[in-house]
Amino acid sequence: MKGYRKYFTKKIIWFFITLFAAVVLNFALPRLMPGDPVAMIVSRVAQGINDPAAIRQMFESYQERFGLDRPVIEQFFIYVGNLLQGDLGLSFSRYPRPVADIIGAALPWTIALQLPAILVGWLLGNVLGALAAYIRKGFDKTLMPIMLFMGGIPAFGMAVILLAVFGITLGWLPVAGGFEQGLIPHFSWRFIASIIRHYHLPFWSIVLISIGGQAIGMRSMSIYELNADYVKYSRFMGIKDRKIVGYVFRNAMLPQVTGLALSIGGMVGGALVAELIFSYPGLGTTILQAIREGDYPLISGTALVITIMVLLAVFILDVIYGFIDPRVKATQYD
Amino acid sequence: MKNTFKQIFRTANFLIGFIIISIVLLFITIYPIFNPGNPLRMIGQDSFTPPGTYFSLYDSLDVSHVYTFRLEGADDNRIYAKLSDTDREHIKEWLLLFNDYDDIFEIRAEDIDLEDTEGLLGLWWEHFDPEVRFDNMTIAERRVFARLDVNMDRLFDFYDKEVWMYNPESGESEYLKSVGTLDYVNVSDVANVRILPLGTDNFGRDTLKQLVSAIGTSLMIGLIAGLIATGLGLLLGLIAGYIGGIVDDFIMFFTNLFTVIPGIVLLILISYSIGQEHRGATTVALVIGLTSWVWTTRAVRAQVMSLRNRDHVNLSKLSGHSMPKIVVKDILPYIASYVVMAFILQVSSGILAEAGLSMLGLGPATTESATLGLMMNWALRYNAHLSGAWWAYYPVILVIALISFALNMINTGLDRVFNPQLRG
Amino acid sequence: MGKIMLEVNGLTTKYITRYNEDVYAVNNVSFKVEEGRSVGIAGESGCGKSTLALSLMGYYFAPLHYMKGDIIIDGRNISGMKPDDVRKNILGSEIAYIPQAALNALNPTRKVIKFIEDVVRVHNPKMHKKEIYDLARERFETLNLPAETLNKYPVELSGGMKQRTVIAISTILSPKVLIADEPSSALDVTSQKMVIKMIHDLMELGYIKSMIFITHELPLLYNVTDDIMVMYAGQVVEYGSAEQMVFDPLNPYSKGLMGSILVPEDGTRDEKIVAIPGTPPNLKNPPDGCRFAERCKYAKPHCRVYHVELTELSNGRASRCITSEQELREAYKNE
Repeated sequence: MKGYRKYFTKKIIWFFITLFAAVVLNFALPRLMPGDPVAMIVSRVAQGINDPAAIRQMFESYQERFGLDRPVIEQFFIYVGNLLQGDLGLSFSRYPRPVADIIGAALPWTIALQLPAILVGWLLGNVLGALAAYIRKGFDKTLMPIMLFMGGIPAFGMAVILLAVFGITLGWLPVAGGFEQGLIPHFSWRFIASIIRHYHLPFWSIVLISIGGQAIGMRSMSIYELNADYVKYSRFMGIKDRKIVGYVFRNAMLPQVTGLALSIGGMVGGALVAELIFSYPGLGTTILQAIREGDYPLISGTALVITIMVLLAVFILDVIYGFIDPRVKATQYD
Repeated sequence: MKNTFKQIFRTANFLIGFIIISIVLLFITIYPIFNPGNPLRMIGQDSFTPPGTYFSLYDSLDVSHVYTFRLEGADDNRIYAKLSDTDREHIKEWLLLFNDYDDIFEIRAEDIDLEDTEGLLGLWWEHFDPEVRFDNMTIAERRVFARLDVNMDRLFDFYDKEVWMYNPESGESEYLKSVGTLDYVNVSDVANVRILPLGTDNFGRDTLKQLVSAIGTSLMIGLIAGLIATGLGLLLGLIAGYIGGIVDDFIMFFTNLFTVIPGIVLLILISYSIGQEHRGATTVALVIGLTSWVWTTRAVRAQVMSLRNRDHVNLSKLSGHSMPKIVVKDILPYIASYVVMAFILQVSSGILAEAGLSMLGLGPATTESATLGLMMNWALRYNAHLSGAWWAYYPVILVIALISFALNMINTGLDRVFNPQLRG
Repeated sequence: MGKIMLEVNGLTTKYITRYNEDVYAVNNVSFKVEEGRSVGIAGESGCGKSTLALSLMGYYFAPLHYMKGDIIIDGRNISGMKPDDVRKNILGSEIAYIPQAALNALNPTRKVIKFIEDVVRVHNPKMHKKEIYDLARERFETLNLPAETLNKYPVELSGGMKQRTVIAISTILSPKVLIADEPSSALDVTSQKMVIKMIHDLMELGYIKSMIFITHELPLLYNVTDDIMVMYAGQVVEYGSAEQMVFDPLNPYSKGLMGSILVPEDGTRDEKIVAIPGTPPNLKNPPDGCRFAERCKYAKPHCRVYHVELTELSNGRASRCITSEQELREAYKNE
């Protein structure tokens, strides 16, 4: 058990370090902007607002939040203090709605969409990659180029194709939003059915873009494992091929968990862009609107929340990996 | 070395990728020669003009030679084109209403083929009766059908059409010429003809021309981003792997950090901070390159660490060679193939990253030149996908996918040569 | 003369390369191993000794293919059997294998005992977990291996430990023939000693009835095995007792091979170490005559023309050379 504990402690410490770094980055980036950041931030939004009083108010509230007249350390503590209270500032474009409130409304949609989609894509990709490595021949020769091609289609491209084909041309599924327009969110069959119908296209587009890369990775990993010495030895000990294939795929799959942890950041990025194609009410659409409207507090807040989400996912995957792969325990001894 | 090249070119994957990329490059070099000019010029007043050949209606009237053709089915085609989709829907509507009204007449909705012009007209003349009054029908609705009946007769008017010209001096119109149903002009005689293989985009710009220039810009962005990312990754990986110790710890700390912090977030924050007005294609490429070096660093470091203690490197060290010399002579050649592959991957992911950024409205400044991402962004912002203007986005997606597919194929081809274990 | 445990007659196997060329890595090999005896196989790398080890299992997978010949284990010819029957009835229980790179021979994510269960259940599908555990525990303890090893993952074992565990697993079903392919070459000296001792113990305790030991370390063979067989380019070139082969090799190739190593006994030789010049022939199209002729310093023109068979000599030894024993001895003496 000692090996595991050491591993977990390491991972927890690492989680907090990355979290801290993300917060510092979020704090520092606007301050690195040339000139007076507050003026810059407010000027970008001000282009669309005609009420000078409102602009003045925004400017002042933001100046107070930034506290630029104080030393940087103190600014940072104010910033962290606000964060710890869940205060991410007020949105410019939906003034005076708090940023935390807007993000809070979008977050469940994003999690409910991306978590299952990325997991399903990962699983399907791994199964296909493993099959390609095991069957080889024609299956491998046709599947791999398809996977490479699918891996090349950008996230939004896949989303647009699905939308145009299944949403517009065939008209099977709705093309925008998280539920039917005009419906008020409440617990009823009609509302749930509407949510499920709207869920399909964004879900499958994220699944499809995740499959390609995973399948290619799993294929290489499986081929590597299939050539491992233990495969030959197990065969000569009379063990059935099917059982050996079981060994191989378990071993190839385990590093894919770490692979997922390392690539989840990129996958979330793609999924966010896919979200906005469907105007899905998640963080992707939120950040797009914030960018279009120059709503800096909302951009910054959403970016921070996305980062924290990814860091948490990586941490959880690392912990799971520690449990399921005995090799982790062994490496902790050196 | 020569042998390796031979082997690479014998790999099917590499060849496929290489050919695709070559064709793309050839196309984007040759096309502008035949169709020069600014790709961002708005040539059309309408948005999303469908692909096709356009010729000036005005100029076609001035064509000196008019030919007479008796083409088979010309009248049918004319009638087919004249009977609009709404007219067809109305005919169907009337027939169904009549079906409910009349006990003897029976027709089902699925038996009415909207494409079958002859059948529709036949049914209409056989069953339309202006005297019939349906229940619950407003006068306005009844008038629609009456008007339709009049229109239907007009389908068969094949009179000559007269063209009159307005004379600004006398203030009167003068008879110019008459055009008969059998008159044809040769398109090559018409002064102004424009072929738009991919129609125009939302701003009325030639989509194909724009696409060609966008491919060039996107490839350049990919190349710059790839060069920066690979160069930085190689440098950091070499330093971390070769020197080791605290330098390694330091570099790896940042590498691990930026591996888990999602790249898109950094891209968004930095691009937004730069501001629209300062964001040229080069700047965007720079930002992408600066945020995507981690993978190369990791891999280069791992390889250098395994090389560091090989015999030939130790021998060089014992012979007193300087560190730069050892790195160049004893380490770089061994990781060169890997670095080339990493670079190709970075180029393709750079192109994808630009597209993603542009989709979010954080792409290069829009006035300079088009990029694949910007084209995609415009198409979607103006709802090309909802209005069926496929030419504005499918070609772009296809090109992005094709380029990154080709680069990936080149990569797997190289991989098979350099890592024989993966051979099929 | 004891019971014959393994008899090989004219065994030929080939590799098919990815360019569809045939490489005959084991060519018409015949020999016998009696109960309680061990045979060592020596040769340069690429001579076909490891391929012979794989071929003897009677269980082939690409790119290795069976061509002809018999493998008879304790009176049972396995070369005509269906692969699945070989797997179920022969592998592990009749003939067992210790791989060259035993360090990675165990699935890193499967506990040792779990793997033993898999192995035992191939032959006794009904056997209970507890019984298997008891069997494994008893066997491990007899062989001086800690019983805790059973509940560990291979990644938690040291190199020497892993190798000994592999040997214990290979012989858990008390096979009649054990084929050990360089079982000790990747280990440090102490671990090597323990492995050799373990193999001795297995023979003495009767857990294995005969053994084939493959190595390129000739001194080791002299210490471990009773007889030695030298292979060159897929063929057996000389066969004899360990004593004869080390101190009195007759075939020019064996002579060269023995000359290229140091035997740690007094008076074995006073000359310098001489490596055999040149490289073995390409097995895709081997030469017609003697395969060693190109490199042999005693070769005569007709050596390259006539095919030579392995010929029985006195004292139960055999050699593949067209030149007579007397002539060769004369030549050796004149050096």
